[in-house]
Amino acid sequence: MHSTSKTLILWPLTVLCLAARVTGQEVFDEKLSLRTLQDGKVESTFTFTTLLKGTLPRDPRTLDEEDLSQHYKLFPLALGQILREYAITELHLNINAGNWNYDRWGYPEEKGVGTGAELWAWLGDGATKTVDERWRGLRNALAGLFCASLGSLDELRTTSPAETFTPEGTLPTWGDSLSHQLRHASLPSEHVCTENLTPFLKLLPCKSLSGIATLLNPHRLFDADWHGMGVHVLWREEQGIEMRLTFQSVSDPLRSGLHKKPDWSMQSLFDRTITRTCPVARTSEIMVLLPQNAAYHIRPEPSSVSGSVALYDVASVEKPLNVDLLFHESLTYPLEYRSDSVPFTVRRVLLGSTQTHGQLSVTITNQKPYTVQALYLETMPWLVQFYLHTLQAKVDGVTQDGIISNITYIPPVAHSRPTTFQVLLTLPAQTTVHITMDVTKAFLRYTEHLPDAQRGWDLPPAVFTPLEVGPLNLNDTNVGQKAEEKRRIYTSTLLVDLATPDFSMPYNVIIFTCSVVAFIFGNVFNLLTRRFVVVRLEEDKGKKE
Amino acid sequence: MSSPSKTSLSDVSARYPTALLVLIAARLWLSVTDVPKHLQHNQQLSSPLTSYFQLQEGIHLFKNDIDPYSGGSFRHSPLLLSFFATVLPDSRLVASVLWTLGDVVAAWALVQIWRTRQNVVQSSRDTLVAASYLLNPYIFLPTLALSTSSIENALMLLAMMFACKKKASAALFTLSFLLHLSLSSIVMLLPILLLLINDPHSHLASPQPMTKPLRKLWPLFGEFSMYTVVLALISTLVAGSLAWIPQTWGATLTLPDLTPTTGMWWYFFTEMFDHYRPMFLMVFSVHLIIYVVPVCLKFQHDYLYANFILLGILGTFKAYTTLSDPGLFLTMSVIFPETYSYMRHPIVTVLLHLHASLLMPLFHSIWVTQGTGNANFYYASTLVFACANGFALDDAIWSGLRIAIGPSVEGSHVVQE
Repeated sequence: MHSTSKTLILWPLTVLCLAARVTGQEVFDEKLSLRTLQDGKVESTFTFTTLLKGTLPRDPRTLDEEDLSQHYKLFPLALGQILREYAITELHLNINAGNWNYDRWGYPEEKGVGTGAELWAWLGDGATKTVDERWRGLRNALAGLFCASLGSLDELRTTSPAETFTPEGTLPTWGDSLSHQLRHASLPSEHVCTENLTPFLKLLPCKSLSGIATLLNPHRLFDADWHGMGVHVLWREEQGIEMRLTFQSVSDPLRSGLHKKPDWSMQSLFDRTITRTCPVARTSEIMVLLPQNAAYHIRPEPSSVSGSVALYDVASVEKPLNVDLLFHESLTYPLEYRSDSVPFTVRRVLLGSTQTHGQLSVTITNQKPYTVQALYLETMPWLVQFYLHTLQAKVDGVTQDGIISNITYIPPVAHSRPTTFQVLLTLPAQTTVHITMDVTKAFLRYTEHLPDAQRGWDLPPAVFTPLEVGPLNLNDTNVGQKAEEKRRIYTSTLLVDLATPDFSMPYNVIIFTCSVVAFIFGNVFNLLTRRFVVVRLEEDKGKKE
Repeated sequence: MSSPSKTSLSDVSARYPTALLVLIAARLWLSVTDVPKHLQHNQQLSSPLTSYFQLQEGIHLFKNDIDPYSGGSFRHSPLLLSFFATVLPDSRLVASVLWTLGDVVAAWALVQIWRTRQNVVQSSRDTLVAASYLLNPYIFLPTLALSTSSIENALMLLAMMFACKKKASAALFTLSFLLHLSLSSIVMLLPILLLLINDPHSHLASPQPMTKPLRKLWPLFGEFSMYTVVLALISTLVAGSLAWIPQTWGATLTLPDLTPTTGMWWYFFTEMFDHYRPMFLMVFSVHLIIYVVPVCLKFQHDYLYANFILLGILGTFKAYTTLSDPGLFLTMSVIFPETYSYMRHPIVTVLLHLHASLLMPLFHSIWVTQGTGNANFYYASTLVFACANGFALDDAIWSGLRIAIGPSVEGSHVVQE
């Protein structure tokens, strides 16, 4: 009787909860796109999109109140909880291994290809917990979720370069006074591996049991020349919260060296085929970008072909599905790699052999027949201090004004804040621009050095954002990229060699320095306090005689 | 000492400016060659607080409307910043001339101090005094590297010169300006105030307790505080906020930049355990100040000598030293020739200095440039340098006190009890 009355009271509550819960309708789409690159390598991009229809990110002002209950069918609760706990509006996490070669491979399908880990988020202000507190919570939570050292993305690496990392979705307007803030941090020494992929797969509704995710075979993915995973959460107005999990890899079918044809199949790339469809996926498709200037044969017959893209609908094709692309002739390597889509090539190095100062040198070659403008962003840890008065731009070896403009510079704070340095570059048509700047290298406390101090410090990649890329290129080889979207070009990371103290010496140094100080102090003290006396030495003489 | 004793006054008056001009010309010629470029990053010649390279960066940021005190490595006073950003064109040549001029002013001030102490209009020792400043490698190398510590030295000598000549306002203003460039020079406040109310002549041989009432110090101290506050207000106006205080004065106290210098702080705080850092920072800062009162008490008969001793303390113990700090102390000994015969171990001191000054650049280079040695090499040579400065200080105090007993007599020996 007693329990029945309880149930009776609880019923309306449950109904209320259902009405107020966070979730709307959920839709899951999966996609794999494959393309053969200029140098015979194969880029494969897995995209798993979950859309929470009709939902809003959590308003940061409600952080003190109890949150609405979260019930998801497809959306991963582990990630949902993190997003709502810290009221994250937009989140992007990339963990990559290797250096994306823009010259040979063009733009990647997913923009975030900087070496190492990169995390950036847009957070609404106005909560009792500050943006920085929530940012710290977010990176620690994600570190736990993805088994990555994201906790190290601390104040030493956090910047807010809002012009380069513009929101990809929409930022909700909760009120006039409420602004959104960006937090960005990158950790170039982080590496992606199986321990990151396993929690990644757990976020998928079908895990890696069925559907396209079957192909995510760690043995093959982490053997690829370049690989990286990404987690993107954003809010699209009138649609809802979108979570996009991506995995990109660049594999080399020619690596075995048995034949000179860049043939690939799912079996050869991933050592797996698709045997089952993911039952909850709304769409599940495989896109293959067909080669333009080579004779080939593709098996099985695609569900549809539009232009140079072959499309397979995984649900309807015969299984097991093993897409196989065969070339009739062996690959002729191009004499010069040149991407049609990427407007310029960038090379960034740190010059100088001493551990006290050096020179940052960036060489940008604009291959286009028109002037290109680009934002150049450096988010440098305080270890490397820029000297802006030495900033110089040379066009084909001649110093020229007007190349660098709109300088935004937030100087670093020793032992904490990194530098944010952003400029607008104007790159004349078909020239090489050479930018140099003197830097000094910091001397760290012995506790601040990494365990492998002699190896040096990895410095995050610079990010270039091309603006106004002349006439829009319609022959863009990338599939599924919106033309108006801002692209980013990440440079390779740098390694800086800092002077190291002797790590075995703290006690000795404290003792030696204190001894010298005590010795001088003692001497001065003695001289100042003791009285002078005249001693007659005749007694000694008498003894000697 | 070394100057010939039988020179007529007209000879001397002709020789002094000639020698000075030759030295200045040589200095100018050196500063327009490529030498300064090779020296500008040398960490023995300019510390993070005095480097010309950082100053240029600050000026550049200031001119481009970026607050140079919002972070970064710019730790120069806003006074220097405003001076360089508005009055002077940003050119190396102008800087070279200015720095050489600073040295000339300093050398001139030293000669004036010497003359005032001897109470003469001119002496045969003038050339030697000026040359000992202009030819001291510890002083002219930082000048070639355009380290602002040369400017600090010039201000220090000017303040002392004005104090010797009883020009209270000028002395106090110069000292307060110097305080804005380098917080550690607060150590010199009391001895300079005392020098202002006492005569600068040598009383080392006949010590007498000070008879002047100490209450005379208060108005002087008030004037000094006023200048300091006014300059601080000007600094705040120039910088636009109070951010310059932690960035300039704060750096002296908290040592955020652990760049190697010739001093004793950098490696100590590189190797310091994090939880002891604040305690030892406090100890090192206080340690610098505890010498002031005892030295002033002991040398109350000759405050110029107390000034000299405290310069030695500063050159040895202050944060962010460059070679020009101990260099000023060593050079200044030239105006106390009466103490020379009472020194206990001048040879040892000279040899220690020779040892340290040869090893420091060598070990610094093999640590950070060649990579064949490690930090301990350079640290060891700075310890030797500290010992050399300690020995010089020891001898200066000993001979300054010992002179009062008079020359030693056969069969007796002077010791401290």
